[in-house]
Order: sequence, then C-alpha cells, then structure tokens
Amino acid sequence: MKLSIDENRCKGCNLCTKVCPYKIFREGKKLNRKGVAIPELDRPERCTNCRLRNLYGRQLCGVCQLTCPDQAIHWVEEEPYEPHKVAIEY
Amino acid sequence: MSYDEWFREDRLPHIYCAGCGNGTIINCTLAAVDQMGWKKEDTVFVSGIGCSSRAPGYILTDSLHTTHGRALAFATGVKMAKPAFNVVVFTGDGDMAAIGGNHFIHACRRNIDMTVVCMNNQIYGMTGGQGSPTTPRGCLSSTTPFGCAEPPFDLCELATAAGANYVARWTSYHVKELEKAVKVGLETPGFSFIEVLVQCPTAFGRRNKFRQVMDHVEFLKSHSLLKAKRDRMLDNHEHVPEDMFVVGELTKRNRPAIGVKP
Ligand SMILES: Cc1ncc(C[n+]2csc(CCOP(=O)(O)OP(=O)(O)O)c2C)c(N)n1
Ligand code: SF4
Ligand code: SF4
Ligand code: SF4
Ligand SMILES: [Mg+2]
Repeated sequence: MKLSIDENRCKGCNLCTKVCPYKIFREGKKLNRKGVAIPELDRPERCTNCRLRNLYGRQLCGVCQLTCPDQAIHWVEEEPYEPHKVAIEY
Repeated sequence: MSYDEWFREDRLPHIYCAGCGNGTIINCTLAAVDQMGWKKEDTVFVSGIGCSSRAPGYILTDSLHTTHGRALAFATGVKMAKPAFNVVVFTGDGDMAAIGGNHFIHACRRNIDMTVVCMNNQIYGMTGGQGSPTTPRGCLSSTTPFGCAEPPFDLCELATAAGANYVARWTSYHVKELEKAVKVGLETPGFSFIEVLVQCPTAFGRRNKFRQVMDHVEFLKSHSLLKAKRDRMLDNHEHVPEDMFVVGELTKRNRPAIGVKP
C-alpha cells in the first residue's frame, strides 16, 4: 500500500502535518494549478497502514485520513516491483 | 477506505473553507455508520440550514436538507412514518440551539430513536459570523463586537436534562474517540446526541486570535477535560478551570424511547 493525496480535493489546510505520529506529511511549498500547496510526503513507507494493512487485513491508524476535512488522503495498491528508495533507520 | 463508498464522489470537493473541521466530522460519522452494516436504502441523513447542515448533500443515501432549525422536526416525521429506517441528523449550534431550540428539547424528551451530530463551531458560520447561543463569554462575533456578554448554553447538559438516552461530547481533534462515540450513539435506542466542538477558521477563528487553523485545534485539544478526570477533580474538591470543557461519554441510560426499530 502507498499513501496518496488527491490534488483535486486537498485545500492545503495542513492539518495532516500535525496529526501523523511519524510526521509523514510536511507542509508543501510549491503551489499546484489550483493555487494550493499540497503537503509533501516524507518517507511515506513508514506509515503503519502502508506497512501492515495487507498483513492484518484491516485499516490501521488512519488518523490522517479521518482528520483530513477534504477526504483527500487515500491508500492505493502498489504496482508490482515498484522501485523504492532504500532508507536505513538507525 | 471502506466509508468512502458513503460519499457522493461527484460532489467532492465540498464547499467548506480550507481547514474547516466539518469535513472531519463527516468522516468520523460515516466511519461509524459504515460499521453498522446498514443498507443505504434504509438510512436517511437529515439536516437544517448552515454550513454544518450541508453535510447530507455529500452523502450517497437519501437525505433531507430542510428549513433552518427544523432538522429534528423532519427527522421525527421520518421516524414516525418509517420506524425501520436509520435516521442520522447533522446540525449546527445555531440551527439546533437557537432557532431549533424547542425542537431539540422536545426530541430529547420524546427520546426518539435517532442520532444527532451537532457541529458546534460556536458561531453562525454560513451567514458571516453572528454570535450563537454557544458563543463563549468574551468571544468576538459580528453581533458581539465587544465580546459576548451572555453565558452560553451547555448543549450536553441541556440534552441530558431534557431526557436524551445517550450524550457525548468530543472535538474535531479527537477523531478516533468521536468515531467510537457516534457508533455507540447509533447503537443506543432512543435519542443520541453527540456534540462536536469544531474549528471554523473563517467566521470564528479569524476574529478570535486563532490565525492558523491549527491554533484553534490545539486550543480544543488542550482545553478538553476527560470526564473521568473532571469527576476525580470534583471528588478531591479541586478547582476545575472555567475555560475547560468536559469531553467523553456524559450520559448513557435507558429511558423509554419511541420510534425504536420493530
Ligand atoms: C428561518 C431562517 N432564519 C435565518 C436564516 C439565515 N441563516 C442561515 S444559516 C444560519 C445560521 C447557521 O448557524 P449554524 O447552525 O451554527 O451553522 P454553521 O454555519 O455555523 O455550521 C442562519 C441564521 C435562514 N436560512 N432561515
Ligand atoms: S489535511 Fe487533507 S486537505 Fe488538509 S493539507 Fe492534508 S491532505 Fe490537504
Ligand atoms: S495512517 Fe497514521 S501513520 Fe499512516 S500516514 Fe496516516 S497518520 Fe501517519
Ligand atoms: S464559514 Fe466556518 S463553518 Fe462555514 S465552511 Fe467556512 S470554516 Fe466551515
Ligand atoms: Mg455554527
């Protein structure tokens, strides 16, 4: 699973940047064509739901999604063999 | 997300201002509704007039977007005609406590089987920020330019005193707790009332020193006092700060109800 923000719905309120325990959402800087700064994702593969949803077979955490007033946050299935950035956490 | 399918995707994005918490409350309510295993054909969302009351327009089931303050009157009608239906009402502090105040207390008294989610932004958001019966003392609105001098209603105490079977209060910050409270409300026969304190950056926040959306959400978070903690403070004769409000499940009882599913 991977996180995705719907650019048509997001209004750039940045509430998601405050509620994620991993601080995955970061305030965006570039305005999109609607004049909204969509938040950037910082190593989204750390998200509990991205990692464990398919293993547990149910939604996990999901606080960002419930909080997002504009229904802009979703998870999508990954394509097979999607390239990943290798992140080493100490 | 499973509650996704309750939204009218073609109507999104909704018209709420950036950072308005009403959308969060719709999410939490639908997440609870989705867990009930209800059929969409048997579920009706009802509302009055206001920003908050636009909510049913974004939901796939049949709905009634009625006249200002009359959501509960219409919802009562639905329940009386079709007791097997699941009725959920979205309303605002102005819609429910000002113009709809009498419908509110009598719906509680009759203990009609429905769940009411009140988005309390403590102001008339839609019409440009007039004070409402829940505007806290000292707060600025377009009709209280020197600070509200009147004491506000405590909607939860009102609902409890009037006879509702289930009463809870949360804020737009407490998404998981709110989802659970709405679910208990949906499960409880009789009148269930869930008050949600919510940020309205456009009409309330702007005038009341919450320049950033998050400032108001932080305020809601830091000024909410869990009921258990409040009760402990009262037991120990400690002082409960005036600017704090109680959150949690405030009333749960089993008074005789009407309109309960056959
Ligand atoms: C009979 C009637 N009186 C007044 C109005 C104007 N009016 C529309 S919305 C509203 C207040 C809504 O406040 P609230 O229920 O708190 O909703 P919010 O917009 O804050 O969510 C008023 C007074 C109306 N539409 N109908
Ligand atoms: S909470 Fe939703 S609308 Fe707000 S910035 Fe995040 S994704 Fe966008
Ligand atoms: S589901 Fe939880 S961990 Fe994952 S991005 Fe959202 S808030 Fe963060
Ligand atoms: S005026 Fe207030 S309540 Fe209405 S949509 Fe804007 S922020 Fe939300
Ligand atoms: Mg209001």
